[in-house]
Amino acid sequence: MEEKLKVDEVIERYEGDKANLISILQDVQSEYNWLPQDVLTYIAQKLSLPLIDVFEVVTFYKSFSLKPRGKHLITVCSGTACHVRGGHRVLEEIEKRINIEPGETTEDKQFTLETVNCLGCCAIGPIVVMDGEYYGQMNTRKAASLLEKYSKKDED
Amino acid sequence: MKREKLKKIEGLRRLREKLAKQRAAKKSWVIISSGTCGRARGSSKVVQAFKDVVKKHNLEEKVNLRITGCHGFCQAEPNVIISPEEIFYQRLKPEDAKEIVMETVLKRRVIPRLLYVDPQSGERITYKKDIPFYKKQHRLLLENNLMVNPKSIDDYLAIGGYKALSKVLEKMSSEEVIEEIKKSGLRGRGGAGFPTGKKWEACRRAKGDVKYIICNADEGDPGAYMDRSLLEGNPHTILEGIIIGAYVIGASEGFIYVRGEYPLAVENVTIAINQAKEYGLLGKDILGSGFNFEIKINRGAGAFVCGEETALMASIEGKKGEPSQRPPFPAQKGLWGRPTNINNVETWANVPLIISKGADWYSRIGNDKSKGTKIFSLVGKINNTGLVEVPIGITLREVIYEIGGGIPDNRKFKAVQTGGPSGGCIPRELLNLPVDYETLTKAGSIMGSGGMIVMDEDTCIVDIAKYFLNFLREESCGKCLSCREGIQRMYEIVTDISEGKGKEGDIELLEELANVVKDTSMCGLGQTGANPVLSTIRYFRDEYEAHIKYKRCPAAVCKGIISSPCQHTCPIETEVPVYVALIAKGRFEEALDVIRKDNPLPGVSSRVCHHPCEEKCPAKEVGKPISIRGLKRFAVDYGLRGRIKKAIPLKQTKNQKIAIIGSGPAGLAASYSLVQKGYPVTIFEALSVVGGMLTVGIPAYRLPKEILNTDLQVIKDAGVRIQTNASLGKDITIDGLFNQGYKAIFIAVGAHKSLKLSIPGENSEGVLDSLEFLKAVNLGRAVNLGRRVGVIGGGNAAVDAARSAWRMRNCEKVSIIYRRTEMEMPAFKEDVESAIEEGVEIQFLTTPTRILTQNGKLIGIECIRTKLGEVDESGRRRPIPIKGSEFTIDLDTLILAIGEQPDLSFLNNNQGLEVSSSNRIMVDPETFATNRKGVFAGGDVVTGPNTVIEAISAGKTAAISIDKYLRGESLKRRYSVTRPSVYVEPVELTEEEVAETKYPSMPRLSPKERANNFKEVELGFSEELAVKEARRCLRCDLERKEEKE
Repeated sequence: MEEKLKVDEVIERYEGDKANLISILQDVQSEYNWLPQDVLTYIAQKLSLPLIDVFEVVTFYKSFSLKPRGKHLITVCSGTACHVRGGHRVLEEIEKRINIEPGETTEDKQFTLETVNCLGCCAIGPIVVMDGEYYGQMNTRKAASLLEKYSKKDED
Repeated sequence: MKREKLKKIEGLRRLREKLAKQRAAKKSWVIISSGTCGRARGSSKVVQAFKDVVKKHNLEEKVNLRITGCHGFCQAEPNVIISPEEIFYQRLKPEDAKEIVMETVLKRRVIPRLLYVDPQSGERITYKKDIPFYKKQHRLLLENNLMVNPKSIDDYLAIGGYKALSKVLEKMSSEEVIEEIKKSGLRGRGGAGFPTGKKWEACRRAKGDVKYIICNADEGDPGAYMDRSLLEGNPHTILEGIIIGAYVIGASEGFIYVRGEYPLAVENVTIAINQAKEYGLLGKDILGSGFNFEIKINRGAGAFVCGEETALMASIEGKKGEPSQRPPFPAQKGLWGRPTNINNVETWANVPLIISKGADWYSRIGNDKSKGTKIFSLVGKINNTGLVEVPIGITLREVIYEIGGGIPDNRKFKAVQTGGPSGGCIPRELLNLPVDYETLTKAGSIMGSGGMIVMDEDTCIVDIAKYFLNFLREESCGKCLSCREGIQRMYEIVTDISEGKGKEGDIELLEELANVVKDTSMCGLGQTGANPVLSTIRYFRDEYEAHIKYKRCPAAVCKGIISSPCQHTCPIETEVPVYVALIAKGRFEEALDVIRKDNPLPGVSSRVCHHPCEEKCPAKEVGKPISIRGLKRFAVDYGLRGRIKKAIPLKQTKNQKIAIIGSGPAGLAASYSLVQKGYPVTIFEALSVVGGMLTVGIPAYRLPKEILNTDLQVIKDAGVRIQTNASLGKDITIDGLFNQGYKAIFIAVGAHKSLKLSIPGENSEGVLDSLEFLKAVNLGRAVNLGRRVGVIGGGNAAVDAARSAWRMRNCEKVSIIYRRTEMEMPAFKEDVESAIEEGVEIQFLTTPTRILTQNGKLIGIECIRTKLGEVDESGRRRPIPIKGSEFTIDLDTLILAIGEQPDLSFLNNNQGLEVSSSNRIMVDPETFATNRKGVFAGGDVVTGPNTVIEAISAGKTAAISIDKYLRGESLKRRYSVTRPSVYVEPVELTEEEVAETKYPSMPRLSPKERANNFKEVELGFSEELAVKEARRCLRCDLERKEEKE
């Protein structure tokens, strides 16, 4: 199976060392965009780890996702500097618009919403990152229009 | 290019010399900042543009590009520095590249438009060293970011890189290195400040043949990014520090644990490790010393607690990042149970510096307890956002005001938050604190990793506490019950407070919980997690109380209380978002109805309100606030143009007579509210005209008489009786009114007495007081004004007097003399601008010393120039006279406008009322009741000179108290959260409309058209302009979640 080959490749890269579990999961996730359960079971077997240990790690760290993520990843910076400049209002606007909370994906699998504790780009806060592209000095208005732009993009 | 492995220290030295020589041959560089924040602002495109220009014009020989990490001045990104002069160009666009190359690099000509403009002086600054942001810094570490391309080890070698490592391997024993580090006084830059030398010593002495080194780059504090900047911008200096540490301790393996959110840092460090390996600076038998050392990179997976060392080690081991009990400390039992030394990025970066330049040199920087420099990220409400490196012990004031350039838009500094979620908020009173580990801890915060988040008056302290509690509750690993549940409970309590559901006793409960969490949690997260709560309660208890008791959020942030900042900030809670939304939809009449519902003087407010609502409008965060007063005026004018509905006399349902003394805004508002409640109300006015200051104090070019009269007519039509020429003390008395059967009295006589300057010559002929002057002008009396008029003061009375004088026929020149700068001037900004536009001269930073007279008649004034010193209690910088700068201004008339106070001379023995030393009537601030039963007071007579809208608010509130009093109820006020009364659907916007951030300029008469007349200057928005502006409103009233459904 092709999927397993990919996972094998990652595990190989880390010499099958269970101490590298987090790195392995990170690399696997960047392949799949999320961590499907059968992949986790396979990793546990290959590293001779109880599945529960793998789950423990996956559920502890914020960056791992046990659910498929949407086509577009929206990351809202919730750092303090963004917050004092109104970043929370931007987040709330996005939540309202696409009707999901951070960590969730829209039903149509278009958007996944996440927050990050700080991107360290405080000078241009509030910041929203859409598919890796930085949008600085956001407000509720611009957030709404950004979402619209991306929704439209997909229709075209 | 393949790098050859260096087998000896000598080989490294030769290579270094060769590279340094090659580098020295190139005299000028274009140093392009391209760290993460630069890239977020488009620096990658700028870099590409430079490369394209060089290629296109075959300038490879003449133009040397150096693409570096961050230059620290985030505000100015993308920026370039042209060496050797260090010309600094900021906020570049790709289009600028060609001009910079052609003009500056090739012809050494400066391009003024790309220079940094100092917001304080307005001057363009050419060189980096002269920019205030850089001037006061001591950039030991950050300056090297400019010197190297982080992706090139050769760059690092060329500036003397790995010299410290050579020195250690060649000449120093481990003990000597430890001794040197100890002597330098270096302490942990991760925040706790543990002496680094001691830490190393402990790990070196620990038994065990396998030892580890860790670089903690899990920079999790929001608002702190100095570690990222170092890793991205100069990774080799960190590697060098780590290798030295490993050698000293005897470790053969090291780990750099980097936050996963820092992809560029991971990239650059990975490249650096590979390059160091190629040269044999990592790996087996480093430089022939027999010392073996490898470094691996671990990427964090998004858990704040992993910044805690025991949790971080668990994470490296591939486990969930839960902390464990100390002791044993990592130096004894760390990673996989082996002795481990863990230091923060910035600490490691200091090591090569200390070894190269010596502990003696290093320990001369800093203060007695803490040595060296510390990098802070100065962010939030600050003009110069960026990374600043300063000697430890510098004061907060120096960092925030001198380097940071103060608070944007001249707003008031409120607090600075240091230390991230484990730190606390430090208030204005402590700005002179030196920044070091001990002092900050004593102040209830911590140094932490170096985040400094500056907050201004628009930041709510309760909201900040909630923010950090929310952060910590999500990041608590859950191992300790007190941290897991305690922080959650604190979060719930603070959330309740922020939503207007706070109860008495909540603050005490929070304090108790905070102390329990602090005392009973195992790791730093819980132990310091209470700091944000405890420090904010310690310094801002009144703000918590405002939320709990009065349901007020002074910063207008807490959604659950404020609904929208404009409505909440308006003293009479006018439903701004509602009427603005109605205007946006073209429903102008309804908009006017919404305004009238809360405001008995809509016409007046639409002309002269100081619009505190606009100050808090969130649209200003990315542009300009909504022109709320302009829109109100549009609605009012629309009503005037159409048929204003004539008010029907209100039905009198009660028979307790009420006397209102004074017909200014407070008296009018109270009377209108009381007739609406069915009381018979009579206003007694001392003058022959109605309106108080509105009539005699405000010139007609700001408030036309017709506008005022329209408002007055509505009030009269509603049934309010007004008796003029009835002066309290002369024509009427309080006892007399009670004897005449009045059951309650509201005193709102205003503040009509001008203050004196207390300098000689004040009583000479030709010296007037501003109120007398304005009254005479407004009542159309003859005023004897000379050709040259001076006005002393900076408030509204001064500007009104100056502009009125300017309009008089025989007046040729008007000068305002004000002791501070335009920024500190209390007069309304738009009026100051108009005055300047009209040609009124304003002598800023000038204070009068003597009035010059001849034969008892004014001939001029002697002044002295001032400069601004330290910030005083009013939050403004104090003017200090400059010796020897005296000069005179020749004048025919001098108008004094330095302030007013109530004139209570008429009150015979104060008629039993309690009066303050500044001549104000004392009242219960919540109910406006005086010490005399049945007597209430409000407006300027209570507060001293204040704004129209505050007076209206006082009148309305007093009316509620009077009603309660007359019904025999308790006067106790009930407070509730702000809400709009109706829902108005938002409008759909085009993309251009979304991007619109400008404040429309109010159409006005040209200065020429204003000469010699008192015609209204502002003309009002056209319908098109008003609708456009109204559509710009962000509709904060719809942001609350409950309104979503």
